[in-house]
Amino acid sequence: MSLEILLAIAYGGAFLTYFSGKISQGLRDGAAVLLSLGTVLIVSSFYNVPAASVLYEGFLGLSLVLRMNSLAWFFAIAIVSFNALCVIYSLAYMKDRNEKDYYYFMLLLINAAMLTIVLSGDLVTFFIAWEIMSWATFLLISYNRNGALQAGIKYIVLSLIGSMCMLIGILSVYTSFNTLNISELSGQLTTASAGYKLFLLIIFSITFGIKNAVMPLHTWLPDAYTESPTPFSAVLSGMLTRMGVYGFLVILFGIVGIKSVLTLGSGFISYTKTMAWLGAITIVIPTFIAMLQNDAKKLLAWHGIGQGGYMILGIAFGTSLGMAGGIFHTLNHAIYIVLLFLSVGAVEYSTSGIRDLNSLGGLFKKMPIAFLGGFLGISGLIGVPLTNGFVSKWLIYKTLILENAPFLAFAALLGTWGTILSVYKFLHNLYLGQIPEKHKNIKKTPLAMQVPIVILSFAIILFGIMPGLPLKVINSINVAFGFSPLDVNLWGVVSEAGTLNMLNIFTALIVFGAIVWGIFRISRPATLTDQYDNYAAGAAIPKDKYHYTVEYYAPFYRMVKPFLKDIFDLLYQKVARANDFLCDNIRKIYTGYVGNYVMYIVFFMAFLIFIQLKWSVF
Amino acid sequence: MNIVALIVSPLIALITGLFFLGLSRKISARIHWRYGPPVYQPFIDVMRAFSQKSITHGNFFDFGIILSLTGTIVLVLFLPIGGLWALNTGGLIMFLYLMLLGPFGIALSGAAAANPNSSIGISRNFLLALAYEVPLLLILLAVMTDYNTISLVEIVEKQAATGMAISSWRLVIPGIAYFLILPAILGLRPFEITGAVQEIASGPIAEFGGKHMAFYTLQHALQTFVGIALFVDIFLGGGTLFGLLNSLAGTVWVDILEIFIFLLKMVLVLFIGLFVNAVYPRFRIEQAMQYLWKWPTLIAFVGLVIVAIIN
Repeated sequence: MSLEILLAIAYGGAFLTYFSGKISQGLRDGAAVLLSLGTVLIVSSFYNVPAASVLYEGFLGLSLVLRMNSLAWFFAIAIVSFNALCVIYSLAYMKDRNEKDYYYFMLLLINAAMLTIVLSGDLVTFFIAWEIMSWATFLLISYNRNGALQAGIKYIVLSLIGSMCMLIGILSVYTSFNTLNISELSGQLTTASAGYKLFLLIIFSITFGIKNAVMPLHTWLPDAYTESPTPFSAVLSGMLTRMGVYGFLVILFGIVGIKSVLTLGSGFISYTKTMAWLGAITIVIPTFIAMLQNDAKKLLAWHGIGQGGYMILGIAFGTSLGMAGGIFHTLNHAIYIVLLFLSVGAVEYSTSGIRDLNSLGGLFKKMPIAFLGGFLGISGLIGVPLTNGFVSKWLIYKTLILENAPFLAFAALLGTWGTILSVYKFLHNLYLGQIPEKHKNIKKTPLAMQVPIVILSFAIILFGIMPGLPLKVINSINVAFGFSPLDVNLWGVVSEAGTLNMLNIFTALIVFGAIVWGIFRISRPATLTDQYDNYAAGAAIPKDKYHYTVEYYAPFYRMVKPFLKDIFDLLYQKVARANDFLCDNIRKIYTGYVGNYVMYIVFFMAFLIFIQLKWSVF
Repeated sequence: MNIVALIVSPLIALITGLFFLGLSRKISARIHWRYGPPVYQPFIDVMRAFSQKSITHGNFFDFGIILSLTGTIVLVLFLPIGGLWALNTGGLIMFLYLMLLGPFGIALSGAAAANPNSSIGISRNFLLALAYEVPLLLILLAVMTDYNTISLVEIVEKQAATGMAISSWRLVIPGIAYFLILPAILGLRPFEITGAVQEIASGPIAEFGGKHMAFYTLQHALQTFVGIALFVDIFLGGGTLFGLLNSLAGTVWVDILEIFIFLLKMVLVLFIGLFVNAVYPRFRIEQAMQYLWKWPTLIAFVGLVIVAIIN
């Protein structure tokens, strides 16, 4: 099968879904699910099958090129898989909403646009798909109206700044080299001066930094993740935001080339070091801000920013170990953050829209599958051994320690320990503790929600115990970029200083777990008790008020709250307000009174005459 | 060696840990001019707890405590006890992450119990962990950078060749910092915040009784063992003793003697820790965090800067 057909199915499927929605709801749902699963199948058939084709000759004298290689395949399969899971999940989640034709249309369109981005072999295709993705995302973020509109505006403004930067970059590349084909550019750019390369990197880094929410360009993300419909939050957090990482990979290693990137800069200041430190800041600050959040989705959103920092940190070092860590973490992060959003969505669905961490609790017995998803999701996010997050973080830490960057390693590790606090709060306040009376009879989680959660939970464990599966693909990406391959086996990594073998840990935990469990089972059975049958040191237990959630880390909040403000967001909003004020005043010159307009013209003529008399320019 | 270590090291850790719990009660009692319980009291307590009735709040409640004990046992497998170690994969980073499983399991169990005292205790426990992890991470990074490895076993081996880490001038500063946070890692007063008996009814373990309590005690004993053993391994050269055993090299006696030397060093560290514990009142959480983020962090940071500059 050729790449054009894949894209035709992806785009055509989006339109088909939209129009079939006009006929019947069931047909549309079926079409959306089948088409998204179909793209998964087609993309997976491209495994290890490099392909290239010219999509269109002579667009402004340039040909639009598609190509499939290991990097594109890795991202493409992740994109379509997460999208398919989110479409399935949407069947139940979006059941009672309006404008569903439009919703599915946009969801599938974004899927197709992301596919085009990773398949594009030239920068024009890349840019066009990037714009389709950005605009469709804007429309879906604002799907819920009200606050969502504001979030959408924030997103699109930053996204447009990014697009403009990319456009400038593309134009400058075209004028210098007369081609926009990525593989041709990578050859030609070796002759360019260091200054020009730095310019290109910086201008593209702004674009991809905005998409990947690298501090200080992150401000669109928390609102966008929180306000979008939850299945779309999952898509957004899973792969869409990580298009930024893909962009970084293409520009750093695909176009400019690792050898040139590492030599840019002098002394202590260099491009890669700056990037690494921005990554470190992106890890630490959002992780601590996440601790203060009371909205379940916003908490996850701040982690979405923070985890993006790990990926940047991994790829910034330009070693095969770090690259493997960074790319693997992109996939792992997508798995657990999608899972967590789906888990929150299930809670939202069952409690009719509550996701405030202070008013929930004790749902784990009512919603076991959603709880399983939440539990494994946070385990992956922390990086508990045997979950996928551990392996990629391990690779990144090891890179940092071996590359003699202990302070960056400290930032990365500190981020993890901050993560534990906030995600434990997340799990505890949603699922553990006492259940409020009003939630005792909540709606059951529908099957369409359970299936994606179970699949992703399985993936977390699978990639945690057998990291070799994805690492083999990542290895071939590394080789394509010109790095030396890692010595990877199914259970882990063998490398020069210290190996990682998950099988050992898995066996040890299983064996000792079985022993401990056995002792637990043969000793005297325990009596099952109700949640109100609690030890309260002699006090009576009031119903419904006996759950410790609000201000979960109160002493800590008192200490750090004054320091953790999103100063960049405040700054941008100030700029936006100033701009608003300025434009508002400029508008006032349109008084609607003809005499005033005549006066402007006279003043302007007088001004021109003055200039001519003084300097005689015309 | 590995198979032997797989069985022996958890046993050594359990027995030593329980013995340490007893010892600490005895020593504080003597400092307070009391007689105190016998040193083997924790063994009796565990036995008795197994025979007592207990309550459960469901499967997840049980799962948490099982996970906690299992995680801590696996953690012990990574520690070189003298020349005895079972696992080395993943190195110190793996070790740091596995250190999580113990408290994490207790936290899950405590939260599944739906007792607010437990929840408060857990929140305090995580805060305290965050507070001491900051200096601890700096310290471990200094050690890893200095020896340029992430493997715990290699760190011990290199010390056997060059002498204790704490006797080298580069690592003495992180060593001091580790010693300052040791009571916090062990949860001893003045950092006995998590299980503050008078305030929150023992915190996370408020709902534990019978076999759950027994499991918790075992986990706590192992945790105590790990906290001290890590210090001995990283800074006091593990089971080596100034090359005194070199004449016996190659015989079984070395292995056994090394374990004894290792345990002896641990007792020494515990004693010094207990002298602090016995005379201090409990910190409030803010005080504990402020203390831990001030002096130990500053010292550890200076240590890391020095190590990083030299490398």
